[in-house]
Amino acid sequence: MQPTNDPVKEAPAVKRKLHPSVDLQFDRTWLHNLQDRVDRNGPWDDWTMYQLAVEAEQSKLIGSFDDLQCLRSLPSFEPMTHQISTARKVLHEMSGRAILADEVGLGKTIEAGLVLKEYMVRGLVRKALILVPASLVLQWVRELNGKFGISAVAQKKEHSWANDVVVASMDTAKRDPHRDRLLAQDYDMLIIDEAHKLKNKKTTNYQFVNQLRKKYCLLLTATPVQNDLDELYNLITLLKPGQLGGQNEFAANFVVDKRMPKNEEQLHEALSSVMIRNRRSDGDIHFTKRIVKNIPLNLSTEEQALYDAVTKFVRERAGESDGDWSSLLSLVTLQREVCSSRDAVFVTLVNMFKKTAEDSPLRAKIWELVEVIRSITSNTKAEKAMELVREMNDKVIIFTEYRATQEYLLNYFRANNMVAVPYRGGMNRGKKDWMMDLFRGRAQVLIATEAGGEGINLQFCSNMINFDLPWNPMRVEQRIGRVHRLGQTSDVRIYNLCTIGTIEEHIVSLLHEKINLFELVIGELDHILERFEKNESLEQRLARLMLETGGNGDLLRKQIDDLGNSLSRIRDEVEFEEDEMSAINSIMNAVGQTIEVRP
Amino acid sequence: MNERQIQKFVQRYLDATGCHIVEKSPAHFHVKLSPKADRDLTNRPYYWSFVDRTGAEPETMSLLLVTDKQKYDNQTAAAAANAQQKDSSAGGGAAGAAAAGSGASGTANAAEAALGRSFGYIHGTLNTNIRVPREDLYFGSRRLNQLFESSRQGGSYLCLFQEPDKRSNHPLDSTAYSAWLGVNMKVEFACDMKREEFHSFGVSLATGQCIEQFHDRLLQYRMTPKLPPNVHTAKNAFTLTKAAAIAEQTLERKLRTYDYSWAAAASKRLNEELETINHYYQPLLESAEEENKPQIAEQFERRQEEIKWQYEPRVTASAINCGIFYLQGIG
Repeated sequence: MQPTNDPVKEAPAVKRKLHPSVDLQFDRTWLHNLQDRVDRNGPWDDWTMYQLAVEAEQSKLIGSFDDLQCLRSLPSFEPMTHQISTARKVLHEMSGRAILADEVGLGKTIEAGLVLKEYMVRGLVRKALILVPASLVLQWVRELNGKFGISAVAQKKEHSWANDVVVASMDTAKRDPHRDRLLAQDYDMLIIDEAHKLKNKKTTNYQFVNQLRKKYCLLLTATPVQNDLDELYNLITLLKPGQLGGQNEFAANFVVDKRMPKNEEQLHEALSSVMIRNRRSDGDIHFTKRIVKNIPLNLSTEEQALYDAVTKFVRERAGESDGDWSSLLSLVTLQREVCSSRDAVFVTLVNMFKKTAEDSPLRAKIWELVEVIRSITSNTKAEKAMELVREMNDKVIIFTEYRATQEYLLNYFRANNMVAVPYRGGMNRGKKDWMMDLFRGRAQVLIATEAGGEGINLQFCSNMINFDLPWNPMRVEQRIGRVHRLGQTSDVRIYNLCTIGTIEEHIVSLLHEKINLFELVIGELDHILERFEKNESLEQRLARLMLETGGNGDLLRKQIDDLGNSLSRIRDEVEFEEDEMSAINSIMNAVGQTIEVRP
Repeated sequence: MNERQIQKFVQRYLDATGCHIVEKSPAHFHVKLSPKADRDLTNRPYYWSFVDRTGAEPETMSLLLVTDKQKYDNQTAAAAANAQQKDSSAGGGAAGAAAAGSGASGTANAAEAALGRSFGYIHGTLNTNIRVPREDLYFGSRRLNQLFESSRQGGSYLCLFQEPDKRSNHPLDSTAYSAWLGVNMKVEFACDMKREEFHSFGVSLATGQCIEQFHDRLLQYRMTPKLPPNVHTAKNAFTLTKAAAIAEQTLERKLRTYDYSWAAAASKRLNEELETINHYYQPLLESAEEENKPQIAEQFERRQEEIKWQYEPRVTASAINCGIFYLQGIG
């Protein structure tokens, strides 16, 4: 294991004791090269270049151990005070191994970037590995390059690993063939985002990170403890084994019950040497109100006919099929799509038609459905949405699950002289930003199919219409989070369009009334779902219920009610535990400072 | 380095590498690179190996090097505004025309900004509508670091003669010169933190005399790569190796007088950390199942190595560049 700045191994070097605790090492490569040139009488370099080289080195010289050199080479942004003080603390008091546990939105990425940059400027880090969830890889690469001028690359191919600073997803990194390659490498610095995924010792994630060879290491997480104190122990032991003693010692010294710590003062002391947690000052966590309104709608006769026809079609197919799930799921999708727009159903039907064998009797049936579509001339929901938009006379974002619906709405709004711009996942960065600019500027309406990913921060808009609802509650929460976030100054109005007598009615009631999704605290849904979705996601469970109950509306209603009840039970449990966690939280909150954030 | 120093540095670099400056202001250079600079700066090894193999006429790149971003942006914005004003007044239109003009350029700017954002983090290049890639050279920027690296590559080993003060009158007069080994060193004091120092030594090969701040002294002379007329060089009494050893000894004597409490503190941290993990792994090893022991032992060892790697105090001295310098007189 060689420190970064050691000369090349073969290079002649002399080592002498300088002081009882330190050696002086002379690198003599230069002398050999010079002798070589003298012997061969050249080639000789340029005098100006020689002077420039000295000036360059002098300007880069690190004068003292403990200032922040990186601050003078960040022209494009200014870090906040607490971010700078966090970086200093990591560098000077924690020797570069720390858990950064700031609350969401205080800039853990910036803090990590500052530490990384500082070590790079000082020549203490050259090779760095940054492991993050797949969805954040590009965001990290962008931040490191744009804000810090660090040439970080996203791992795409095997040879990407050869770069000095690589950002990769944990899932990729721990898999073969990457795994062996990474384990064979010495990393000057390892950064792990969303590190609470390492709370369990037995997981492959944990073991993989444990095996990586690293000098400095930063673990980033907003929730170092989710359930019990062991998680905290595991995380810290990964970073610095022995910091909290052995497992038994820890249990004996600090734990009364899995959620009840003791010897708080010592625990706090032990924590504060490895963990920094900045929190928003309580007065400042000022979220505006959410006002949720369900808009029940009756389908027009033609639309209802389509819904019934599709339902019948789905029921027949479900009866015939011998449990081929993937095709059954697409059937359920059909039903959901009818509730959105005829265009959405149409696209799916056409695809289904193409996939069906030419001589299959199914083709005729699909075609019948298409014929039913033809008779539909208007979209009840779109009309209602238009009415709402006109009424509020304010910026509004409309979310839909389907591309086809999005296209339809764009056309519909255009035809009605309402300026609307699209937003979807497939757009490249530049186009997304452009659409945002347009929405901020002259368009009243943004029609989006994607809520995930950063970059869509819509604090300036306080109205949101769910044209249809995803079955995955996390996606609903993401949608809300785009609008209802720090910096939002008005109350947020959320409208759920909901067609009566369809599957949609059930879903809206489940999400709204049972999970109380629209009023949950951020992060809580995560805990509820984690507990609920042991084997099967909520989305899958719903689809299965749909198919199993066949056409029996009452049975379906009852089943979904049961589902809802068990969800609200879990919600109560989680809320209860949150209260129980207060002892742990107060200890963690003592590690660090409270930050006034002005949105 | 501030904007002015960077401007000066870039100017001298471009001159030294023989680049052609197309246009410049105190805030920028528009430059067509010389082959040498292009090789060092544009990161096109394939292109250059193609040129080298085929002997094709190289086509070097042009760059817009902005040394003072704010000033440059203000300049260009002012220029653009001027041009626009001219346009609208020339068109004879009233305020309406001007507004339409600014509206159009507004959208163009927005489109450009969007493009810039999407590519900005790669290069910041497509941001401008001229085809010359723009590079902002601020301290710490990648491009400036490349310039630094390139000057280090191109200014490593020298052999120079001091130009005589005045032409000697008599053609048979001869001035005595002696050879000096000059070396500029960077000393790094590192543990989990680090600081650095710059030292410049000159050792006379004739007498073995060693002087510090040698580089500053050289800067006072006019130097030339060619042996001046009417000069004779004194015999070298010291080899390069011997002279280098003298420089090293001088440095070492100096370093011995320093305060090493930082190193002692680092050693202390190192030992504490080693103790902590010892305290953790020893019981673990003792209580572990026989089959798991090697794995735990290996982990233990790895952590020990990591900690040494992280904390171990060390001082290293390496050369930035060096050379043989023939100076007037017998040193």
